[in-house]
Amino acid sequence: MNAAAQAAPEPGPGPFGTDNWAGHLARFGRALRGRGVRVALSDEADGLEALTCADLSDRDEVYRALLVAFKIRPHQRAIFDELFERFWALPAAPRRASRALGQTVRKRSAGAHPAAEAVEVDAASPSGEDVGYSPDAVLRKKPFDECAPEDLAAMESLIARLALRLATRRSRRLVPTAKRGVADLRRSFRRALAHGGEFLSLARRARPLEQPRLVVLCDTSGSMDPHVRFLLQFVVALGRVAKKSEIFAFNTSLVRITPLLGPKTLSPGLIQATLARLARQVPDWSGGTRIGECLRDFVDRHLGAQVDHRTVVLIFSDGLDRGDVAPVAEAMRALSDRARAILWLNPLAGDARYEPSARAMAAAMPYVSRLLPAHNLESLERLVPLMSL
Amino acid sequence: MEREGYIGDPGIATALYLSREMRRPLLIEGDAGVGKTEIAKVLARLLDTELIRLQCYEGLDVATALYEWNYQRQMLRLRLAEGEGKSAGEIEDLIFGREYLLERPLLRAITRPTKAPVLLIDEIDRADDGFEAFLLEVLSDFQVTIPEIGTIRAEHVPHVVLTSNRTREIGDALRRRCLYLYLDHPTLEKEVRILTLRVPQAGARLSAEVGRFVQALRGRRLHKTPGVAESLDWAQALVRLGNDHLDREAVEETLGCLLKDKNDLTDLSGAALDETLAMATSASGSAG
Repeated sequence: MNAAAQAAPEPGPGPFGTDNWAGHLARFGRALRGRGVRVALSDEADGLEALTCADLSDRDEVYRALLVAFKIRPHQRAIFDELFERFWALPAAPRRASRALGQTVRKRSAGAHPAAEAVEVDAASPSGEDVGYSPDAVLRKKPFDECAPEDLAAMESLIARLALRLATRRSRRLVPTAKRGVADLRRSFRRALAHGGEFLSLARRARPLEQPRLVVLCDTSGSMDPHVRFLLQFVVALGRVAKKSEIFAFNTSLVRITPLLGPKTLSPGLIQATLARLARQVPDWSGGTRIGECLRDFVDRHLGAQVDHRTVVLIFSDGLDRGDVAPVAEAMRALSDRARAILWLNPLAGDARYEPSARAMAAAMPYVSRLLPAHNLESLERLVPLMSL
Repeated sequence: MEREGYIGDPGIATALYLSREMRRPLLIEGDAGVGKTEIAKVLARLLDTELIRLQCYEGLDVATALYEWNYQRQMLRLRLAEGEGKSAGEIEDLIFGREYLLERPLLRAITRPTKAPVLLIDEIDRADDGFEAFLLEVLSDFQVTIPEIGTIRAEHVPHVVLTSNRTREIGDALRRRCLYLYLDHPTLEKEVRILTLRVPQAGARLSAEVGRFVQALRGRRLHKTPGVAESLDWAQALVRLGNDHLDREAVEETLGCLLKDKNDLTDLSGAALDETLAMATSASGSAG
């Protein structure tokens, strides 16, 4: 913006008590990373370039320039502001302050390490069993009953139908096809040229099949106990036919159980073993529910990565909750903003007299695309066509 | 910027300045109606250049975004050329010339002969991931390869502005390629200035009351939070109906300009409306 810009990389005390802008910027970037703000090397390079364009004697301009160059999103703003205060001391700051600043940085980044590690550990443990364990919750673990063979047989046929239906959502994009579709003039023309300008056949385009992504949130609290085994089986089946599926269990805390439900789980003997293993590994299995907090936890940690406009979210829960319901509405709203559809499966809804009046259920209702019963195989069958909305 | 009818703030100015200096696209995120698209329009007016807009939607493909051949003309030319007894190779050269090419926004943006245009890629979050990847390629090289013609390089690298309503996360690669600006709803003071500038007929009292009313609304939990676009519409509607201040009757008649969700309208009736109205009118009532 002015002459100060060109002066920036030159040695000599700069206006912020630093003479090494690149080094200072790198330390600033590292401190941000230490606090969980993702700043890549390329962002730091952008930052340096932005500073050469900016009026360095204007601290506010430096602030705004770095905000833009580091691509700081609104939820990272508070951390950025805090660290900016620390790193970019006022222009009046004398030389000594810079050394003090340097020390702060070193201390700061050393202090930030445990936090950074915590973040990495959390990301590295995909099942996340170690999170949100509440010691005061009653830990009740019990083995699940043997699956009835006829249930499994019925389930198999359902799965076959499901696989077929799930694979029927068409994308809005058009891709070349050898079969029926709308005429593709560009390719037809190319082809016609090869035959001296005669349109012997038309090339066509059609909408390809698009398999939806599924995210399943399964309530495993005590009140859901009679249904959970059945539903989880169904969920495992879904996981096999959907393009991508993620399965979470929740009661008083949220746990990602996708890794525990492998592709081979479906054979009868293994299901039981898997469920038993789940009961051991998921804290508070068959305990109480805190739907709101668990949904919020999902929104905070997984929404961005797991849910997009192609995702159908399935929630298995009876909506009986002992926690606060305000977060339920909040989280459901965030979910419905992103997902293609939210299907809530409620075992209680099988009763014709059922009204979604439980507090958590009522709070969630405005954001639910469909509330469906889930008390028997038939009710699950009716779900199938809705999955490919 | 103010001259062009836009009340900016230093944050916006810095972002635009850096994006020009560093020749990098600017990605603007924020709620609907905070004035993201307007920034691109104002930029085009400021630079006195053309604004080329690409509206994204699900299923947007390269043929709509980049180029398409003019088949009807090609076909006519083909028949003519046959009559003239030209060889297949000659015909091909003929009909795959630049004059048979329909330029879509992205190609137009890099072929302007005189001046770099402003390229607005609106609501990029609506396009699918595939298109995002394609865009990344165009935005890093500013060149396009058309098999029949060859590579077309940008004569003037356009000023690119991308906007997103955050209905889905933009991929990291594209985000890194851009500079980033998050636009929030304006402060009361800024909103009143915008209202005064854009709806001068409203007068000081109405502008201030509309500003305070909308600010109070944004504090509530709504399904669709009204943006600046809505408050401008609303102020205009109030002026048309001959109001110079807010009262209950006027608000009830025109609230549809501001709240575009049935639930919000139901929520904001009776006591809630009185309360918000009181917040909006209390200060100016005592002043005059």
